[in-house]
Amino acid sequence: MENPGEGTRPGGSLAVYCERVSFSYPGSERPALSEVSLGLRRGEYVGVVGPNGGGKSTLVRLLNGLLRPDSGRVRVSGRDPATEPFEVRKRLGVLFQNPENGLVAPFVEDDVAFGLENLGVPRQEMRGRIANAIRAVGLEGYERREPSTLSGGEKQRVALAGLLAVEPEILVLDEPTSMLDVAGRREVLERLEALRAEKTILHVTHHLEELADADRILVLNGGELVAHETPERFFSDTNLLRENRLVLPFVPRLALELGLPPAKLRTPEELAGAILARTGSETRTG
Amino acid sequence: MTTRSLGQFYPVSSPVHALDPRAKILAAAVFVAGLFLIDTTLGLLFVAAALTALVAVSRIPAGTFLRILRPVLFIVALTILIQVLFSREGLTLIEWGFLEVHSGGVRKGFFLALRILLLVSSAGLLTATTAPVALADGIEDLLSPLKRVRFPAHEVAMMMTIALRFIPTLGEEAEKIKGAQAARGADFSEGGPLRRARSLVPVLVPLTVGAFRRADELAEAMESRGYRGGEGRTRYRELRFRKGDALALAVTLLVLLVGILL
Amino acid sequence: MRLELRDVKYVYAPGTPFEVEALRGVSLAVEPGEVLGIVGGTGSGKSTLVQHMNLLLTPTSGEVLVDGVDARSLEKRELRRRVGLVFQFPESALFAPTVEEDVAFAPRQLGLDEEEVQERVRESLRALRAGDLAARSPFALSGGEKRRAAIAGVLAMKPEVLVLDEPTAGLDPATREELLALILDLREAGISVVLVSHDLDEVAEVADRLCALHEGRVRAMGTPAEVFYRDPTRAPATVRVASLLKESKPEIIGVPVRFEETLAALRTLPGV
Repeated sequence: MENPGEGTRPGGSLAVYCERVSFSYPGSERPALSEVSLGLRRGEYVGVVGPNGGGKSTLVRLLNGLLRPDSGRVRVSGRDPATEPFEVRKRLGVLFQNPENGLVAPFVEDDVAFGLENLGVPRQEMRGRIANAIRAVGLEGYERREPSTLSGGEKQRVALAGLLAVEPEILVLDEPTSMLDVAGRREVLERLEALRAEKTILHVTHHLEELADADRILVLNGGELVAHETPERFFSDTNLLRENRLVLPFVPRLALELGLPPAKLRTPEELAGAILARTGSETRTG
Repeated sequence: MTTRSLGQFYPVSSPVHALDPRAKILAAAVFVAGLFLIDTTLGLLFVAAALTALVAVSRIPAGTFLRILRPVLFIVALTILIQVLFSREGLTLIEWGFLEVHSGGVRKGFFLALRILLLVSSAGLLTATTAPVALADGIEDLLSPLKRVRFPAHEVAMMMTIALRFIPTLGEEAEKIKGAQAARGADFSEGGPLRRARSLVPVLVPLTVGAFRRADELAEAMESRGYRGGEGRTRYRELRFRKGDALALAVTLLVLLVGILL
Repeated sequence: MRLELRDVKYVYAPGTPFEVEALRGVSLAVEPGEVLGIVGGTGSGKSTLVQHMNLLLTPTSGEVLVDGVDARSLEKRELRRRVGLVFQFPESALFAPTVEEDVAFAPRQLGLDEEEVQERVRESLRALRAGDLAARSPFALSGGEKRRAAIAGVLAMKPEVLVLDEPTAGLDPATREELLALILDLREAGISVVLVSHDLDEVAEVADRLCALHEGRVRAMGTPAEVFYRDPTRAPATVRVASLLKESKPEIIGVPVRFEETLAALRTLPGV
């Protein structure tokens, strides 16, 4: 499936590397992950999809050392998360699904400071980094707000700011918008989009429209990596979608049904434009 | 909706509010200890006058402050009653059958009552003028020397901060669960105490289970952000002792000294 | 039954610094046997509104009428039986050792005899395709399973109106579609359904009528086509595509809202 190895070191110069990784939760009969191999190059934006229980969350936790693989190798920027979790967590930040339970401090700016405090960053340096992170997520003015007064989208952005303050090279997003409403989702995705140019991103999600721009999409089902495709091919593969309990949002679905490219047309406006172009040209020649 | 009902913090700005929390905690602790060294009513009255002046300076409305004292009024009344009815010291003031009221009893009752009120007032003034987060910071700082004797000062402080962070959240969750169960016909106000306690099971069980799940997710998030206990950690918030704080402590000691001497 | 709200106003925490006018005069009616969608952004008052339907909240002013009778005059438990409210993320209120015990809670609170309770538990679980979950612990279930168990718990009261506050929140799209299909089945069984949702695409697929809330007031009310085509910028994807095309291609038939009808309408365009 994947041939990710480069160079003599396992993983070589890859940002994230997994080689035949397997993991079973204690007491479980089925392995959560089974011989999964994958690699992310620096700067890539890769999506991970699949049915619930398919291994996506397990993969995330193996990457940042919360879990240790039963077999196989995991390397993040060349380091093994199981033996050097602290070093890995400086370079790989995870944005979790529940916006509520990732916020630890009674005020926004204290929460953003949390990661920096853990790293032993001197106080003087913290101020600037916190301010930058808060600006990067558009929450200037929110410094003294309490988490319980924030909307879901705002909470998730605070969590993102907390990650950004640590300045990791790699971001892993574990269904970051699942529990948000439409407005919250948009807020968070806007900020994530701006980060794509500078970070390596692994984005686990059910919302396929979030992956239209991805370099590749990986499919995890039953603990196995069953497919990896470009968004265009992925959106068009209705069997693959169905087998993995994935649902195309309406705009790409309409596009697909009408014979238009589903990954390129994301908004209703783009779709309408493409349809008009199609009909326009027909009537002109006909 | 925030539940601003966390204890008795009254958010206005005053010289007392602006003091370093450590100074206030220390002053309160010293005050409480000192109270027990005062053995005259006059001494207590002097200290009470000083405390009243302090409450005024802290710009807390009298009504709000008196409300803080409400829970102890019962004990105060009971104390006075016991002293008045059962003390046989001093001159006899009233004699009615087998009940005797002596002047010593009245004086002692008043003395003890005043002391209780001062104890509660000092604690109340502390919590009214210090935000919960500042209190937690102050406590952490004061406890940190104990780290040398393996006391988990950092962990205690972390627990306090997290508790403060989640109290409003858990409060909202409890409201929501109550609503959900009420929508299924639960009634929390009918029946005697046993029945009422049992009717809380459908609220307490999910709340507790939910709290454990939250704790799990929070622990994962904290670890993922590089948390590994207090070692090697720096602190964003800083507490700086200023002249005003030293002054406040000095004044407290002075007032107590006068009270003891009186 | 016909559930009506007349000029309902609601103020949170009146007289305190946190006073908020959540509802500023909302009037609407839930007709028997329909699916009424309630849409609106955060702060529109959706959740406050639905809590008035079973009088978990009482209006600051205005009336709630059940078949023309003031709901306040009805016995609370009876009202809450007839108007079943399912909160957002209802699984957070699951508490019993088994799913069937949990679903039995509401019927038992109603004082029904044990045989009737068991029958209701069976029926409700079956309606939510959750029969196989009966003996399992609610805390060991997946998100979608918990959701269905929680809804069954309210359905066991045999309400005439079922109010669902964001019933698909947090679920993956495949599970969401399955749950919506089950909800539509309930309408077939004669229950009126009030569906609060922030997801316009989802609501468009199932609602017979829509009420759009904005800052505590009714911004628009009517069939989905009426409400959405009046303001296509605040409409589901299907309507936005169709209305954009209608400008240049007025020959598009009708005002499609649902996916299938939109697809069919678009296919009639030459060259498509």
